[in-house]
Amino acid sequence: MGDDYPTLFRSEQMSLMQFLIPTEVAHDTVAELGELGNVQFKDLNPAVNPFQRSFVGEIRRTEEMTRRVRSFESQIQKEKDVVPIRPLYDSAPLLTVGPSAAHNIDELDVTLAEHEKRLVQMNDSYKTLSERTRELVEARHVLRETAVFFEKAETQHTDIRTSFDDSSAPLLQHDDREQQYSSTVQFDLEFIAGTIDRTRISTFERVLWRVLRGNLYMNHTDITEPFVDPATGTETRKNVFIIFAHGDALLAKIRKVAESMGATLYPIDANADKRSDSLREVTARLEDLETVLYNTGLNRRSKLLKIGENLARWQDVVRKEKAIYETMNLFNFDVRRKTLVAEGWVPTRDLTTVQLALRHATEASGTSVVPILHELRTSKTPPTFTRTNKFTEGFQTIMDAYGIATYQEVNPGLFAIVTFPFLFAVMFGDIGHGLIIFFAALYMIYQEKKWARQELDEILGQFFYGRYIILLMGIFSVYTGLMYNDIFSKSLHIWHSGWDFPEPGSNGVSYAVSNGHMYPFGVDPAWHGADNGLVFTNSYKMKMSIVLGVIHMTFALCLQLPNHIKFKRPLDIYANFIPQMIFLQSIFGYLVVCILYKWSIDWSTRDTEPPSLLNMLIAMLLSPGKVDANAQLYPGQSFIQVVLLLLAMVCVPWMLCMKPYFQWKEIQMIQGQGYVGLSHHNGGHRESTDEVLESEEEGNGRVIVEEMEEEHEQHDFSEVVIHQIIHTIEFCLGCISHTASYLRLWALSLAHAQLSEVLWSMTIEKFLGMSGIFGTITLAIVVVFWFSATVFILCIMEGLSAFLHALRLHWVEANSKHYQGEGYLFTPLSFAKLDEKE
Amino acid sequence: MASVIPVIFILAVVLGLIACGYLFVPKGPHQTTIRTAIMLTLASCYLMWMVTYMAQLHPLISKS
Repeated sequence: MGDDYPTLFRSEQMSLMQFLIPTEVAHDTVAELGELGNVQFKDLNPAVNPFQRSFVGEIRRTEEMTRRVRSFESQIQKEKDVVPIRPLYDSAPLLTVGPSAAHNIDELDVTLAEHEKRLVQMNDSYKTLSERTRELVEARHVLRETAVFFEKAETQHTDIRTSFDDSSAPLLQHDDREQQYSSTVQFDLEFIAGTIDRTRISTFERVLWRVLRGNLYMNHTDITEPFVDPATGTETRKNVFIIFAHGDALLAKIRKVAESMGATLYPIDANADKRSDSLREVTARLEDLETVLYNTGLNRRSKLLKIGENLARWQDVVRKEKAIYETMNLFNFDVRRKTLVAEGWVPTRDLTTVQLALRHATEASGTSVVPILHELRTSKTPPTFTRTNKFTEGFQTIMDAYGIATYQEVNPGLFAIVTFPFLFAVMFGDIGHGLIIFFAALYMIYQEKKWARQELDEILGQFFYGRYIILLMGIFSVYTGLMYNDIFSKSLHIWHSGWDFPEPGSNGVSYAVSNGHMYPFGVDPAWHGADNGLVFTNSYKMKMSIVLGVIHMTFALCLQLPNHIKFKRPLDIYANFIPQMIFLQSIFGYLVVCILYKWSIDWSTRDTEPPSLLNMLIAMLLSPGKVDANAQLYPGQSFIQVVLLLLAMVCVPWMLCMKPYFQWKEIQMIQGQGYVGLSHHNGGHRESTDEVLESEEEGNGRVIVEEMEEEHEQHDFSEVVIHQIIHTIEFCLGCISHTASYLRLWALSLAHAQLSEVLWSMTIEKFLGMSGIFGTITLAIVVVFWFSATVFILCIMEGLSAFLHALRLHWVEANSKHYQGEGYLFTPLSFAKLDEKE
Repeated sequence: MASVIPVIFILAVVLGLIACGYLFVPKGPHQTTIRTAIMLTLASCYLMWMVTYMAQLHPLISKS
């Protein structure tokens, strides 16, 4: 097996290996194996609670580090000015293996904690400073607005004074007294000033009015700039208010109401000088705060920049460490020998690479104890691993999406490389559209290396992942376009047509005369534009769909054969494969032969009318043995059809009964030999495990044996019978329905051709006749419209539709003939794949 | 009159090409893949051509 090459035909052979790893080397060994990506470790402690596993402490530490790294990442992303994160391929690697590894990790831990602390401090101080700035700005507004109020009050007061003068003649003493009085009047009203949300100001006013029974004078103005909350970014608009009232009780009430409504009160002095002093003080403090704020911001940014340099590196290290410790938690710790025991699936082909990796790990770590590797014999099903490269990966994925192949069963992904694009192309056939998607795929492949590194968004990423599939789809579409003779709904006249059109007769209809020449490659271009062109193409495409469908299904059925041979199931060949094949061929293979035969006869030289094949098939099934001599396809038809029908009918009980009968006989034979089925199998299993683990103590041995018992198959006879009945019915009914299902090849290609033709005739055709500058410009616009509609509707939409239907044909019609699909995917510990998962 | 002979002739050519594809693909990690791809492509393209050719051999309806 060693020098055989891996094939896509079957999944690779896997071996279950047991690793005995000394504890000192364990971390580095796992790191090395993770880089390699070839081992899928089994969980040897399934019954252990995740919190009780051995490496919980290390995992907690890495979790802390992950959390810190994630918080850095989110902070960097929230920054308005982009902080560049140096990409991983550009950063210097951080050593996680070898003698300095532990020291590096500890250092990283400390660094991360320190960065986090500082960042948190800076953020907090930034927040506090912003709050204070806000308060000061509000205070400044209040001071300004109240200044305006007092000035207004001043001017009003002089008016009041003059009115006083008019009404009574002031005596000198009166003047003094009045001056005193007026001066006190002006400042006898005490006031409360503050700010409140604009939305609440009217409620505030109303509440105050009611509470104080109108004994107040209130004035308010808008503050024009909104206040932005730094944490959430929301804007709030505030108003400045000033309330004049007198009496302590009233003032106290006002204060309480203001507090309850969420207003902020500011102490304002009545004296104008003192007010301007406070204004100056507030302004000065504001300036100071803004400087401090600015500096903090700068500091923070420089810190984030430094973090950004290292962020990708840290993320990588932290991810790897977590994966390593999680894997190490799956291992079993042997106390006596102080080694860790691990079990894992490795592709047999890669065993030497794994051994080399183990040796490399011990060399790198500097110890001299090499981990031991030896193979375990097991009856458990290994995981399914198909080695793909960037070309075959896409095809394998779309077939795996239906179900993972059972271990070493024939892989339909291999054949899908050609059959999938081919069936797609049958539904998509157009040279022009094929070329468009071909060039699109070519462009993506050209940009492969660059795009593989970028984070592509979901839809583009999907298209990029399938770029090779699209490439082949394009190539085959060009071929089928040549066959259908369709390029952007026009036809090509490469060779001589086989039909001549004479002058039209009196009713304007001209009947073409065949000139004996065969158009060698594809549909004759004379059919394009003919009135009954659709009649011909429909018949042609429908029959082609049936022919291709039956051949595809036969091919899929034949894929059963290698499976039966490999897994040594000769009974299945005789009981399943042969009757299925006979059933399929005797009805539908016969139909295909008739189609081809009918096409190969020159009906103008025969006396009989060409019979309708559909009616013929129905008559074959409903009234066998009776074939009308006028409508027969070939002499002796009735006899042959009866024979075929009988053959098909024989196959049904054959499929139903043969396999259950033989399995029943086998069970009788086993029971006759005096063993009870269950313990016989169990005894065999226990022997092999005891051999391997005889040096191990009871704990490990028991766990593994118990797991093996689960894999024991049931040989219950009733289940076999039921399974076979379902299988037979599914196959026989499936034959008919799947054959008809292939008609979608015709349906979609018809839709595509019609859509393309409609688009042309509705757009460019209408504007081709126009002349002059105006005509050329409109033609140019219409061409642009036509091209974009071609790309979006015909290529993308129709393309996706044909993709889906071709995939369905593979999944349902073809896979049901041979595929078991009960495997599980090989998921090795691989650091490269960790990146993809993120 | 066009006959069935080209169909059989091209079938022989395609079978020959398939045999060449099977025999002459060099051994390597991708041998199965390349072989299968070549053989399936030849087979399916031939099938489609054959169907198209035979459908037009003796047309039952004439164009108008």
